[in-house]
Amino acid sequence: MIDSNHEPSPNVDLKKTYDAVIVGSGAAGGMAAHVLTSHGLKVLLLEAGKKLPIEKELKSMEWPYDHPRRGQMPPDDHPLARNEYTIRKPPYAKGLKYQHVFSYVQGWGGSDYSKNIVVDEKDHPYTGTNYAWVRARTFGGKTAIWGRLALRLSDYDFKAKTHDGYGEDWPISYADIEPYYDRVDTYLGISGLKEKLPQLPDSLFQRPNKLTKGEIMFRRSLEKRGRLITPYRAGVTTDGLKHNKYRSKCFGRGACNRRVGGCDIHAAFDSPTGLIYPAWDTGNLTVRTNATVYEVTVDKATGKASGVSFIDSESRQTYQVKAKVVVLGASTLESARLMLLSKSRQHPNGIGNSSDHVGHNFCEHIMGPSVTGIVKDLVGKPRTLDDGRPGGFYLPRFRNLSDRRSDFIRGYGFEGEAGMGIFPSHAASTPGYGAAFKKAVRDYAGAFINMGAFGEVLARYENFVDVDPQMKDRWGVPVLRFHYEFGDNERKMAVDMAESAKEMFEEAGIEIIGMDRELLPQGWSIHELGTARMGADPKKSVLNQFQQSHDVENLFVVDGSSHVSASNQNPTWTIMALCWRSCDYLADQFKKGAL
Amino acid sequence: MHRRDLIKLSAGAALVAKAAAPHRFFTEAEYQVVDQLTEMIIPADDKSGGAKAARVADYIDARLAEAFLPEDRERWRTGLKPFVDASADQRGALLARIAASEKNPQTAEEHFFAVLKGATIQGYYTSKIGIHDELDYKGNVYQSGDYAGELP
Repeated sequence: MIDSNHEPSPNVDLKKTYDAVIVGSGAAGGMAAHVLTSHGLKVLLLEAGKKLPIEKELKSMEWPYDHPRRGQMPPDDHPLARNEYTIRKPPYAKGLKYQHVFSYVQGWGGSDYSKNIVVDEKDHPYTGTNYAWVRARTFGGKTAIWGRLALRLSDYDFKAKTHDGYGEDWPISYADIEPYYDRVDTYLGISGLKEKLPQLPDSLFQRPNKLTKGEIMFRRSLEKRGRLITPYRAGVTTDGLKHNKYRSKCFGRGACNRRVGGCDIHAAFDSPTGLIYPAWDTGNLTVRTNATVYEVTVDKATGKASGVSFIDSESRQTYQVKAKVVVLGASTLESARLMLLSKSRQHPNGIGNSSDHVGHNFCEHIMGPSVTGIVKDLVGKPRTLDDGRPGGFYLPRFRNLSDRRSDFIRGYGFEGEAGMGIFPSHAASTPGYGAAFKKAVRDYAGAFINMGAFGEVLARYENFVDVDPQMKDRWGVPVLRFHYEFGDNERKMAVDMAESAKEMFEEAGIEIIGMDRELLPQGWSIHELGTARMGADPKKSVLNQFQQSHDVENLFVVDGSSHVSASNQNPTWTIMALCWRSCDYLADQFKKGAL
Repeated sequence: MHRRDLIKLSAGAALVAKAAAPHRFFTEAEYQVVDQLTEMIIPADDKSGGAKAARVADYIDARLAEAFLPEDRERWRTGLKPFVDASADQRGALLARIAASEKNPQTAEEHFFAVLKGATIQGYYTSKIGIHDELDYKGNVYQSGDYAGELP
């Protein structure tokens, strides 16, 4: 859909005082814009990147042979490889002669369709320990290409400390957030199958994606252990949304699943069409793109937030804008960076950082252990349509629920899929050449099944980011410095991930042809969390249960930085449910004059 | 008629054809070798056309012409030389020799086999023939009714 009603202008009114200024237009910023404008607040939304003609970028249905490089980026663009993240230290683009350097996701198929969405590492350096930081600076943020797995957390996560004694409980329980998960489900659409699992609560699902033959077989085998795989719970509207004219229902084209991501008919949730355009249509929202915020400004008399300063990403001119409330939704790491950069007499360690916890308790998910196998019954069988869906299957957590392992705490789940994709990735490892090689590739296409684990990284104060004292990015803003390592619990969990995967495949009669037991580099999950956590105690946390700064009552941080622990479920749906809850509270307080 | 078919007619015709559509990186001799070798790796059979019909040599030529690293081009020029120097009949034996230690390549020639095979796979299975005729890929379509697959 060509949309001309939502073109951001650089000439927005910066003289007036907005009710709220929101930093970031991804899942968090978009949700804040939706909720606050629906309550009648006058809102300015700032996004550092530009608005792309996204449908023209994504071209979801283009065949490889209709693209001059079969979907690949131009040759002077370089995706960082796995080993580049481990054998060198950041900034990873330093010294590389390529025109543009991108994070590892640009090494996947179809990289030409996402190259303008993700950042050029040359412009956005960072320092410190190894970390594969994937960023999208564009209108909509990472929701333009997100992985779409939309999972709820449960009280196994919110009350994890009560369960096993480690870390901190969240200041909310499942009952507090459940109505907001329901609202997110209904407003944005989610696809899935009800399973009634206590550790992975069901959503209000639209029709599910289906399983392939290999997956059905695997699910049956898992019944013996009381485990299951369920169709990928996708943040995708499969039945359509009557209240949103900017999004189509999903037609099972599968393009999102063959590439980094992205959906040019917006069946998969993205923040612009799902949240921001409808908010814009209320008349209460002003959007300014190319606005790189580098400071939350402070009222000298009260110490409260007074607005933000930003630099135009293209003209490099600087601006200030005033707002009664400042809402950060710039992402876990960028919001922390912004708070740390916002030093003032009243807030010498950065705004909202009297606890010295901003940037700390940084956590995410480990990845790496994975298994690939062949479903022998499917070799040489007639073709079926296997990849026309936003994802394959999800295998929910089964560790440390009713049982207690002695070697590690918390848990992990698996994402996987079985069946045929557009490209036979097994061809490269099929030996030989000639007629027999060709037939083997053909016969085995469609017979593969694979899955990889996502596990909780424990929130630890010692894992943190701070601001590098020297290095600046292309816009002159000091960059982040990482101090982040996996610990013993993550390493022991990884051993079990590989073992349990192997066991489950073998039990299902799947012939295992590949196993990976190694952890992928830090950051690979793109699920960074925890750098401004919520809590009841202002000495040990940055935000209260409504993502409101303990120190500065008119500052809210509504993205993944607020999460107290990583859990092992993908965070986007929780980010949006929490944000909705907090913005309801914000609007209520605002109307009472309490901010 | 494809340019490659013209080449078979005569030396004179080949010159004309080359002037009309020159290769972007390969010499004519290299091109002919790549066309032959890629077809040996993925040949035509009862099911579908092979690398030659899928124009895999053109794909590789275009990728190499714009390759950012000069060493990517050099690796091909060096790797193809023994094949260019050999007669058409000898090339099959030469390919068999460098492919024999695919799992544990030692020499530069043996390493070149993986490069050649990888590019052939990439070019062939992203082509119309590879995706549709050979693998009968069913996806990348609008499913307007029920989604394919099964529910548990």
